Amino acid sequence: MNYPEIDRYASIDSPIHNFDPRAKIITFMVMIFSFVFLDSITKALVGLGIASLIYIIAKLPKAFVIPRLKVVFLFLSPLLIIMPLTVDGQVIAQYHSITITLEGVRYSSLVMIRALSAVTLALIMLGTTRFDITIKALYMLKVPGTLIQMLMFTYRYIFVIMDEFQRMWKAMESKGFKLKANRYGLSVLGNMIGMLIIKSYDRAQRVYHSMISKGYTGNPRTIVNFELRTKDYAIALPMILIALLMHTYHLVL
Amino acid sequence: MKEAIRVKGLTYSYPDGTPALEDIDITINEGERIVIVGPNGAGKTTLFLHLNGTLKSQDNTVMIFGKNLDDMKVEERIKEVGIVFQDPDDQLFMPTIFDDVAFGPINMGLDEEEVKNRVKKALSRVGLEGFEDRVPHNLSYGQKKRAALAAVLSMEPRILILDEPTANLDPKSRADLIQVINDLNNDGITTVIAMHDVNALPTLSDRVYVLNGKIVGEGTPREIFSNSELLKMTHLEAPDVFKLFKVLTCFGYDCDTLPMSIDEAVEFLTRTIESGSGHIHLHIHEHTHEEVRKFLDSYNHH
Repeated sequence: MNYPEIDRYASIDSPIHNFDPRAKIITFMVMIFSFVFLDSITKALVGLGIASLIYIIAKLPKAFVIPRLKVVFLFLSPLLIIMPLTVDGQVIAQYHSITITLEGVRYSSLVMIRALSAVTLALIMLGTTRFDITIKALYMLKVPGTLIQMLMFTYRYIFVIMDEFQRMWKAMESKGFKLKANRYGLSVLGNMIGMLIIKSYDRAQRVYHSMISKGYTGNPRTIVNFELRTKDYAIALPMILIALLMHTYHLVL
Repeated sequence: MKEAIRVKGLTYSYPDGTPALEDIDITINEGERIVIVGPNGAGKTTLFLHLNGTLKSQDNTVMIFGKNLDDMKVEERIKEVGIVFQDPDDQLFMPTIFDDVAFGPINMGLDEEEVKNRVKKALSRVGLEGFEDRVPHNLSYGQKKRAALAAVLSMEPRILILDEPTANLDPKSRADLIQVINDLNNDGITTVIAMHDVNALPTLSDRVYVLNGKIVGEGTPREIFSNSELLKMTHLEAPDVFKLFKVLTCFGYDCDTLPMSIDEAVEFLTRTIESGSGHIHLHIHEHTHEEVRKFLDSYNHH
């Protein structure tokens, strides 16, 4: 079965792939925050340019990034229509009482560009590291245990639940069910999702039992060996510097 | 001989009040191979959850190596009793196989070096060397099953409890797993197994308990399988070899004890033939068919 694995391309060899996972998370988070707070379209475009450059260095295939960016674009595209019509400012076009303002167009493009660069960076961060390593890096970075465990179980069981859904779906299809957008179809789908929730609940109980029987006491504990090398600093420092300079260059220059 | 497990008067009802276990008495000696059989929903899994304290029993009902289970610390408990549950997806809950196999030892408070050693040892024991970095959802069912066993072996428990270890496995994986379990038992580990697979049962057990909410039978596999009434009542059956040789006796084959497994059958046959005049004599007389039918009926569920 075809899983939407976020870390499918984690085994490619590139400077970004070989970057220490902890340093990667910190560096990329700094960059993401820096880029989403940029206040002009020019700067935001530079940010998007930098994100694209990192994407090229990371050697991730287009098929990994583009479809996911498309989703983000679709999600935000209503803004491109709503904001030009609703934000007050200099009118650039008018049709009866409907006006399009320059500020509206600017704001909406700015939001879109910032979002695209942030998501590109996040995808590179997640796509170049095995997900279990990302989780362990977060663990090493002292992210709260509850959050770590939620991530861990989500990653582990999303595939199990997908398999379960597939099995139920096949069983239904083999009994002649075809999904149509009518009341019956929706009610069947609802039942199926309900069943999946009940199954997950039962499974959670069994998983918990097996955790208890291995001495689980509520804290995630694992063994991780990461080592920061010179090359990690060599990548992290310039990237963080760029992120900071995007906001402070006018003070320096 | 040392007592590994003693359960006395264990009674348990599910939270909704449905009775699950009623007055269970079990005594298992160190190094013994015990199989617990019983129909679906007989309470086998519930019983197992009591044997390592996952489910709490009231008043001193479960003793492990002479110590009251309820008084034992978590680390101590998991060192004594390891449980391998039926569905490996329930037990491999960490992102990688290494994390899963290391989970128990880390909780026992072992140092990093020792944890890594144990992971390596446990994985090689089940034939999964080099699987440390693999993620569970990319493993086959048989591999997951072995990984789940390794995740318990890494705690090096003195008692190993397995719930349906051979269910849903292909014959090769099943044979491999039986071999691993018997090797572990030879190393002195007490094994307690729940299973429906009667043909594999004789190779994994010295003694059998029949559970159906309460203990309804106890004895060697031969004693249990000879009791057709008990088998019928608890929806069980006897191994095919056992039944075949019983049929052979109707045809005049002469043996005192019936073989439980194919290996035993070969051994018995050889012995019978050698002690005779180099052949065995089978015949049909007027009651043969009736005897055969009567015997088969006694084991038939329909």
